[in-house]
Amino acid sequence: MRALVVEDDPDVGPDVVRALQAAGFIVDLAKNGEDAWFKGDVEDYDIAVLDLGLPRLDGLSVLKKWRANARTFPVLILSARGDWTEKVEGIEAGADDYLAKPFEMGELITRVRSLIRRTAGHSVSTLTVGTLQIDTRRMTANLDGVPLSLSQLEFRLLNYLAHHVDRAVPASELADHLYGANEAGDSNAIEQLVTRLRRKIGTKRIETKRGFGYVLTAGDE
Amino acid sequence: MTRHSLRLRLLVGAAVAVFVALAFAWLAMTLLFQRHLELRVEQELRRDALQLVAGLSIDPAGMITAQQPPTDPRLSIPAGGLYWQISANQQSQRSRSLWDQALPSSPQADATEWRTRQIDGPFGQRLFLLERIVQPVGSMERVLVQLALDENEQTVARNEFSQTLALFLLLLWAVLAGAAWIQVQLGLKPLQRLRRELSGLRHNASERLSADYPQEVEPLTKAINDLATAREADVKRARQRAADLAHGMKTPLAALAAQSRLIREGRSDPQAAADGLDRAISAAGAAVEAELARARAAASRHARQDAQASPLAVAQKLILVLERTEKGMRLDYVLDVPETMRLAISAEDLSEVLGPLLENAVRFARREVRVSGSTTDDTITLSVEDDGPGLSAAEIAQVMVRGVRLDQAGGGHGLGLAIARELVEATGGTIELGTSPLGGLRIELRWNRADRLASSTDNRPSSKVLQAVKARLQTAFARLV
Repeated sequence: MRALVVEDDPDVGPDVVRALQAAGFIVDLAKNGEDAWFKGDVEDYDIAVLDLGLPRLDGLSVLKKWRANARTFPVLILSARGDWTEKVEGIEAGADDYLAKPFEMGELITRVRSLIRRTAGHSVSTLTVGTLQIDTRRMTANLDGVPLSLSQLEFRLLNYLAHHVDRAVPASELADHLYGANEAGDSNAIEQLVTRLRRKIGTKRIETKRGFGYVLTAGDE
Repeated sequence: MTRHSLRLRLLVGAAVAVFVALAFAWLAMTLLFQRHLELRVEQELRRDALQLVAGLSIDPAGMITAQQPPTDPRLSIPAGGLYWQISANQQSQRSRSLWDQALPSSPQADATEWRTRQIDGPFGQRLFLLERIVQPVGSMERVLVQLALDENEQTVARNEFSQTLALFLLLLWAVLAGAAWIQVQLGLKPLQRLRRELSGLRHNASERLSADYPQEVEPLTKAINDLATAREADVKRARQRAADLAHGMKTPLAALAAQSRLIREGRSDPQAAADGLDRAISAAGAAVEAELARARAAASRHARQDAQASPLAVAQKLILVLERTEKGMRLDYVLDVPETMRLAISAEDLSEVLGPLLENAVRFARREVRVSGSTTDDTITLSVEDDGPGLSAAEIAQVMVRGVRLDQAGGGHGLGLAIARELVEATGGTIELGTSPLGGLRIELRWNRADRLASSTDNRPSSKVLQAVKARLQTAFARLV
């Protein structure tokens, strides 16, 4: 796993690098925005940890440049200001998660691992079911070329069903996946969620196999 | 006194104005006096002329004689200053005072009325001349009658008059300028007192200007007093905040010192020492965060009043962020906020209010986080609910005590509620905790619509005072003018 750490602070930067190396990553450190932009553009990283306050080119601009150049590796933003306006700006610029300074190194490693798990889980980045297109990296979906406005939960339901078009997925399995294994399955909540998703992508596209579960179809027949 | 001295300006203005007025008066009065003198002289000469004409006779031989010449003694002294002359054909008769000289004959003399003019006469004198052509009864002869008076007399009299008048007017000017000076002194006296009192106020912030100023100055002193009061409150608040912060830092510093001592003495194992250090650091961080929250709230209090944030748009953006988190992506978000709803608070501040509340809700929620908004005629209500375990009534009561953290479980984020509360209260709203129908915690924010305007102006002492100062200065100016 390769990671890029972008941090200009002489103490924090090497500290993060050491922690990530200890966690098994091969780490590059960039100390200013321009260097970060260059490295992110030419190297293939599995994750980038990006500080926002950088010399020469600020973190948000670096992130926007990466994304404009179709660099899709997950980005974890480190922010000293930690206010919500900045968080929103970061996510809107294409970040995947944020962490406010000061942070605990353990928390950082946890976030990095979960980000990689979340975004690198699928070998294919685009799934197609009929006229429905799902971009698993950007976590967006198009129907007949028109972007769908889905909540994260709705997207994850659609994504899971799209990965298992060959079989009916039981509600309990969906609940496990969507809410986590430690939560008790609640088929009622899943039903509501499916209903909402049907409203957005068309009722016929999710079939209910009574006693078995849900199947995502092309919705043509 | 500098160029900008009000006193000098008033004094110079008054002195110049009075001087100009008096000079004009002097000029006018001198002219009037001269005109008056001329009239008097003309009248005198006419009287003599009438007497002369009355005694005019022409004998058959054509000789003209003055039977009753005027008797003024000046007529008998050569170059006496007063002269008469009658002339007809080639002959003439004249007063003794003319001696061997003659008055010049006049082409302009008229038979219908007496004419006056000024001529250069004999003996180097400038003469005021009265003349007319008369035709004695029973004669065809045209007789030119001329009487002249040396102008020197008039000139001397006029100069004497104008000099005396000038002297008198100068004296008057001095008196009036003195009066103006006294007036200015008296008028500006309150300002001098004001200056003294103001410098006192600078040394002692709790001092105020006294109330017994003239009504033209009083609005100014009132405004200054208001400004001083607002400033004093600001300073007091700032000091209090600095003290709070210092106090908040003291405990963690003491803890750090204790840890350092323990390590030095070798009485602490590294793990426990690191834990202690972390606790102190997070306490210090919390103090700083709280202070930042207050600073932000204070800034919001002074923010532009016409700020308009859409709660729906802000909530949508925040949820976009929260959906990226490990826990947040497992949740369902329900937004039930009218699209047209607006709050008189900046979008950044609303983000700082809703962000922490939503973050808390996400942390405790099982499946769902709900944001709803409603508007009545008087109030705007926003609520954030979750379906988590919620808080008991006792816990709610405890949380609502100032300074207590809403969430003691999460690491380092618990101060969010403090920021939210400061901001909501700074913008004139209230924050209330309760139980949601979903089962979890319900946090309700309520702004009084009418209050928001009123309180937001009340909360801006500086600008309010500035406005008052402006208004009062205008009043004072209007009164002065």
